[in-house]
Amino acid sequence: MNRRAVVVLLSAMLALAGCTSSSPVAHDPGRVVLPGKQLPVPGRLYATKSRALYRFSGTQLTRLRFASRVKDPAVTPSGDRIAVAQLQDQSATIVVSDPNGQNRQTLTSASAAEGPLWAFAPGFDGSGQRIVYLTDRGKQPSSPQNLQPNDLGVWSYDLATGQSRRLVQPFAYTGGDSDPSYRPGVSDQLLYTTYLYGGAPPDPVARLTWMSLRTGATVYLSPNLGRNFEPALSPDGRYLAYVRAGSGSDDLLVMPLAPTYTREQRPYPSESAVLIQSGVISQPVWSPDGRSIAFLMLTKGSFDLFILPLTIDSAIHAAGVAQAVTHGSFLDADSRLAWSS
Amino acid sequence: MSHSPATGVPDVPGSRRVRWIALGAIALALMMISGLLIYLSPVLALLEPHDPALGRVAGAPVATPPPLDSKQRINILLLGSDNDQKFPQDALLAQTMIVVSIDPSTHQVTMLSLPRDLWVEIPGHPGAKIDLAYAEGGAALARATVEKAFKIPIHYYAWVGLNGLVRVVDRLGGIDLDVLHPVLDDNYPNDFSDSGYGTERVYLAAGPQHLDGRHALQYVRSRHGDLLSDFGRSVRQQQLLLAIQQRAAGMDLVTALPTFAQDLKGHVKTDLDLVRLTQLALFMRNLHPADVRQAYISPYVRDATSADGQQILVADWAAVHTYLRQLFGGDLLP
Repeated sequence: MNRRAVVVLLSAMLALAGCTSSSPVAHDPGRVVLPGKQLPVPGRLYATKSRALYRFSGTQLTRLRFASRVKDPAVTPSGDRIAVAQLQDQSATIVVSDPNGQNRQTLTSASAAEGPLWAFAPGFDGSGQRIVYLTDRGKQPSSPQNLQPNDLGVWSYDLATGQSRRLVQPFAYTGGDSDPSYRPGVSDQLLYTTYLYGGAPPDPVARLTWMSLRTGATVYLSPNLGRNFEPALSPDGRYLAYVRAGSGSDDLLVMPLAPTYTREQRPYPSESAVLIQSGVISQPVWSPDGRSIAFLMLTKGSFDLFILPLTIDSAIHAAGVAQAVTHGSFLDADSRLAWSS
Repeated sequence: MSHSPATGVPDVPGSRRVRWIALGAIALALMMISGLLIYLSPVLALLEPHDPALGRVAGAPVATPPPLDSKQRINILLLGSDNDQKFPQDALLAQTMIVVSIDPSTHQVTMLSLPRDLWVEIPGHPGAKIDLAYAEGGAALARATVEKAFKIPIHYYAWVGLNGLVRVVDRLGGIDLDVLHPVLDDNYPNDFSDSGYGTERVYLAAGPQHLDGRHALQYVRSRHGDLLSDFGRSVRQQQLLLAIQQRAAGMDLVTALPTFAQDLKGHVKTDLDLVRLTQLALFMRNLHPADVRQAYISPYVRDATSADGQQILVADWAAVHTYLRQLFGGDLLP
């Protein structure tokens, strides 16, 4: 070995020795990890990890068994039934069950004439009789030689009649809409995220969208640029929590929602929203009593479950710091949370 | 009392001790160097000039890398290819071309995506899509083509195949990024099927999430469901690079590097030398997202059809060069 090679190798070794991380990222431990001092969870809070469903209640953690992988849990206000998106190899269906994952009923088909189907993000209405969800049902058959859009639209399913119908037609080639939920306390309003493109050159845009199911009219609650998404309504329907993408962050904000559906929304309500928690946050959900919000937050490379207490007087704001329910658990940040009494 | 065989002078205990210490030090040094070589051998294997096409292009312009101790800008051409079974392995199209420009003087990095359908002059060839350069002449021709068309001096290249990207992300323990919009693709190429011609359905929800290698590849590769097609994909590719840099910054490279390099053998090629690589690794560790500029030439290109019927992109080169002068200052080729 010549002298230069030795110098190169030694300097490489010295340089690498300086590369030991000062704030190491966590690696997935393969299980849900609770912190040494556990935070009791009021009611029943559902989340998924590695596509398995977990229920946090008090200091108890329970894994609910399903036949295959699941995501996007939803729960009725009374907590008597849950719904999930059950994943197969190339499709997904909406399944409802009792709170323990038993007595399952599959509501949607895994395939149709147009091909295999996706179905995600179920959400119950206040009566627990209707479910709103996302699907690519109704798309045109597609092949590499004849490409067709397969964006997700918002549909509803009536548990009493077994009938489903499309509520929202998505913009083509945007990925479609996301995060649908009925407004609590009323039967004719829907909140969801519309995905589209805006600006020049065009950038991805996500807009909070409010829909009257009575007329089919929609109104945007956030501007025509930027990304505001994952709307979550308080149990009384008065407040809307959501995530706003910033530069390197995804912050949690809350804004009030007008008591009745209103077409004109200028300035956009999101422009006067209150910042509740900064960080990289996803999947906000309100506690059943409306006094706290749970969400997933990125901490040292792991998405963990946090609960933030709120104070609601003349305005709404955080009443302290967010408390960790899990620690280094790598929960599924692309899967919704659900919380019942 | 023993005598030194060479001199006949009797050994004193002190000098024998010195000799043993010297021999021990030499042995220790040899062991350290051997250990270091064993430790670094997977890394060194990646850094060999694997590309058989290097040097194939006579007279191609090749920029000289600035000295190690200088504060001059360093430009690296990142190339990404489909390298599954359906392609001849010595003629892969470069589906991804990103110039990563590192400016030590301002502690800034610029990522500039070059659209694969851009119509350019490839040295030794008539006009063609820029992705053909790597297939026709490997990294050398890709480098020469970029230097000629964009006037950006390319000091190094790094190529990564599909499996390489998956392995990098998995070795990092996955990456965290904010998926910009839902990704749906009913005709996503099944990269790892036996034939390489199969398709599969892809769905990624929008929003912040943790992705493993397979899903990270789907995120940056899918384009059928994106209104912006290849431009949308370029944005996602740069987003992934940033996420990889952020994740790697939190890792213990000393213990991770040899297995990392072993994993990547055959899936990554580069002409970066070990010292430059470690220098850049140290630079990148202290990089914050605000230090990285993401750049695209999409405002300066338009759709067109080539004489042989290909769907291509044609650049307004005067506007592109004006834009690049804003990005790179005076560091462009004449």
